[in-house]
Amino acid sequence: MTNATKESLHTTRGRPQLFTSYSREMAIFNTKVKRNWAIVGILALVVLPFFLQRDMVALITTVLIFAIGGIGLNLLTGYAGQISLGQAFFMGVGAYTAATLGGEAKGDVIGLGLDMVIWLPLAGLVPALVALVLAPLAARVRGLYLAILTLGLVFIGEHIFKEAKPITGGAGVGRAPAEPVFLGFDLFSNQTILGYRIDRFTIFYIACLVIFLLLAFAARNLVRSRFVRSFSAVRDRDVAAEVMGVSLLKTKTLAFTISSFYAGISGALLSIVIGRISPETWNIFLSIDFLAVVFIGGLATITGSIMGAIFVVMLPKLVNTLTVFIPGAGGVGDGSLLNVFELQSIIFGLLIILFLILEPRGLYGLWLRLRNYFKAWPFSY
Amino acid sequence: MTAVIESLTDTWTLVGTVRRRAMASPDGVAMRAKRLGIWRGITWADYADHVDLVGHALLSLGIEAGDRVAIHSENRPEWLFADLGTNAVRGITVGLYPTNPATEVAYLLADSGARILIAEDQEQIDKALLVESQCPTLEHIIYLDPRGVATIDNPKLMGWEDFLDRGRAHRETDPRALEHLAHEAKPTDIVTLVYTSGTTGPPKGAMLSNANVEFASGVIVDGGGLYDPPPNPGDVILSYLPLCHVAERAVTTWTNAVSGAVVHFAESIDTVTLNIREVQPTLFFAVPRIWEKLKAAVEVRMAGASRIKKLNYVVWMKVGQGIADSMLAHGGRHTLWSRIRYSVGYVFLYRSMRERLGLRRVRAAASAAAPISPEVLYFFFTMGVVINELYGMTENSAVATSNRAGRIKLGTVGEAHPGVEVVLAEGTGEILTRHPGTFAGYWGKPEATAEAIDADGWLHTGDVGEWVGDTHLKIVDRIKDIIITAGGKNISPSEIENALKASPFIREALVIGDQRAYLTALVGIEEDTVGQWARAKRIPYTTYRDLSEREEVLKLVQGIIAKVNEATARVENIRKFRMLTKALDHEDGELTATQKIKRSALTTAFAPLIDDMYSGADRLAGGDQSDVIVVTPVEA
Repeated sequence: MTNATKESLHTTRGRPQLFTSYSREMAIFNTKVKRNWAIVGILALVVLPFFLQRDMVALITTVLIFAIGGIGLNLLTGYAGQISLGQAFFMGVGAYTAATLGGEAKGDVIGLGLDMVIWLPLAGLVPALVALVLAPLAARVRGLYLAILTLGLVFIGEHIFKEAKPITGGAGVGRAPAEPVFLGFDLFSNQTILGYRIDRFTIFYIACLVIFLLLAFAARNLVRSRFVRSFSAVRDRDVAAEVMGVSLLKTKTLAFTISSFYAGISGALLSIVIGRISPETWNIFLSIDFLAVVFIGGLATITGSIMGAIFVVMLPKLVNTLTVFIPGAGGVGDGSLLNVFELQSIIFGLLIILFLILEPRGLYGLWLRLRNYFKAWPFSY
Repeated sequence: MTAVIESLTDTWTLVGTVRRRAMASPDGVAMRAKRLGIWRGITWADYADHVDLVGHALLSLGIEAGDRVAIHSENRPEWLFADLGTNAVRGITVGLYPTNPATEVAYLLADSGARILIAEDQEQIDKALLVESQCPTLEHIIYLDPRGVATIDNPKLMGWEDFLDRGRAHRETDPRALEHLAHEAKPTDIVTLVYTSGTTGPPKGAMLSNANVEFASGVIVDGGGLYDPPPNPGDVILSYLPLCHVAERAVTTWTNAVSGAVVHFAESIDTVTLNIREVQPTLFFAVPRIWEKLKAAVEVRMAGASRIKKLNYVVWMKVGQGIADSMLAHGGRHTLWSRIRYSVGYVFLYRSMRERLGLRRVRAAASAAAPISPEVLYFFFTMGVVINELYGMTENSAVATSNRAGRIKLGTVGEAHPGVEVVLAEGTGEILTRHPGTFAGYWGKPEATAEAIDADGWLHTGDVGEWVGDTHLKIVDRIKDIIITAGGKNISPSEIENALKASPFIREALVIGDQRAYLTALVGIEEDTVGQWARAKRIPYTTYRDLSEREEVLKLVQGIIAKVNEATARVENIRKFRMLTKALDHEDGELTATQKIKRSALTTAFAPLIDDMYSGADRLAGGDQSDVIVVTPVEA
């Protein structure tokens, strides 16, 4: 069928719902409007750091890294319906893989000083491999039992991290993270490019942005594949999915593996932002932060994970600013009823409860509502 | 694929037009049909090839020049293939309405003497097989959709693919057969029988010839025939009204072939509202019933909208009325000031509303086939959709008059096309037309033909008209329908009926009063909108009849009638009304296939309601100008 003639193009242009082929209907950006907005958004993200202060650049870098981990967890929890508290463990594995391969050796601590080209993929692949080994265990249970099982994983992991001193530096000591040297180009040092001096935070931000975009598009592409459709089938009714020929074991294993790959990358990058990593970093609270990203952002949406990451990372900054206005709240050790961190935990907890009850699709759900309000314009239905 | 046959003769045919397009742009998209969620394109080369295949297949089945082939299907590409394929062998196409019940199928097949029936699916096959014995000429039934047909054992049945294979085989053996036939084609060859809707008697098959279609097509492309400005290959059409009607044939087959505009076939009649939003046609033709439904849909949805949206609607429709008034004062064109207002309103309301209705890209719209209330047209003017009302009928190839861009007069059917003579008969005021598109006569009914076309070639349309400002024609009513009251007043019932039907709550209205002292009306509600209205008011109801006889509904109808009465002279006031006890239906013989009411059938079927009004008994559900009559059900 020839659709390429000028005439026929003319008769489909400006008709976003007139699909003349399945590939057009299934496209990531199936309308021009979506594509154009994505381009505008990416351009805005590229120029953003040049208008921000250093600490804000570091903060939005963290947002990107959280978004990567959030997308990974959302694939597992949002799409496949497997609630996992093990995110921190897999991030830890990723971070230590990266540090061991790409960090410097110091004393007893191993460091091979390899290039980022090698350590970055492996920071994802090693946790994915670990998940592949552990998945058959996790695939046997579901719901709350899975949450408990993965919770156990975090504690076992933390213990191993504390004891494996040649790799992690041990409890309370920690070690330096991987060096982000990409093909000999240090992504975490000030550089002069085309006569402009660009500080290291901005350079690392751009590097993270590229990685984030690659992984986010990969995820967006993945969720329209038959694999992630089988994730959703398992989530909505595992028995029904199995009857239809979707293998539970395979599907859950795949979900765990992909999710852990994202977690590993996220952990490796996060360790660089933190600067020095100790085994205590990868504890249950980090897992909860990521669950917050997923729940607040919205279950089963890639865009939502990004929104959730923005929210979770930016909130402490906001709470800090607002502390002044909340009676009984204050800084650490100044004798006030609540300190900033306690207040933050309370707000997170409240928000997770509220979102679960009121808007399970999270911030993305709010956005959808707003969008539908204007989509239905001038009618209400 | 074999080479496309080039028509070297002087005779203009639709088939030749399609073949020329196929040669000029073989890969250009001629039409699209939605199947399994995707609008699949059919190129001009595909189109011409299928026409040839059908032609060869018909030859292999022994069809000769002048033989009739009936098509009983919803709109789909195969309809066009079969239609033009029949013409390619100089055969005559007979279209049947998909809604035609078996008895009418029997009549149409027997009256036309069709030798082959092309039926869409099991439903239509069942109808044909039920009345097989009454159609002695019928030799083959070709079906398009094989679902559910495998179990039927009848030697006459043949699948579409097998049919095309026969065509392929025939083309192998006699590749030049169609070329010879193309050379033999004559302007006087009958190409189709279009059966009239038959509001008064059994349908009559109007014969249209090559010359008729040529003239009508010429008027279409030269502008004004259907759309003004005229159609071009960049245009998009949605085909959804029955193709056996002359208007849809002109809109789909003729416009497509002569202008190259791309036709899109709706999936089915139920999905038209969804499909139109996908397709966003640039040319849109609808009958009054569709325009009324669109208007009702907007009003009902707005009633359920949130407050801000309602306010937005009210404000911009108000502004829109100003724009519409200004446009009407300028014959349908914008002035600078109205364009400025429209541009602002476009952002807030008009754009989104048109988008949702599927009218966003409409650049020319038309209404015909029945009289439409000016109120409905005005409604669409307010959102910038300018509808040209036009006039034509089967017997003059749908060509007579139309409103032209920039010269629109609301309430009229516009000006005569170039080359078309329109006069009003002395005394009766009957509209007479004369032009090369005047039909060749009724199939097998010379007396009826003689009644319709007089010795000078004038076609007697049966409609009474009057001139508005010397140029624009206004249709008063069908001659036969005009009511002469006992007081001797001539009243056009359809004008009052349309005013009533402009309300979203009223679907059918029948004004009565011939030889009576005053006018009355039978009213049928629009079940969807009244049902929604009743639910919003928490009025419980069960059936159509129960709903329409509720006191609140009677008062609603009474109010609508009162409003219409206000706008008319005293003699034209509706004094009493009764509710129709059922939704009117084609199957029950109350409506024609085109949803027009059959007056005589209705007055007989609902005689008790009419008697109840004129005898003064006032026992059945309805009302007069002050009170309503609520019937309390008798305990059985």
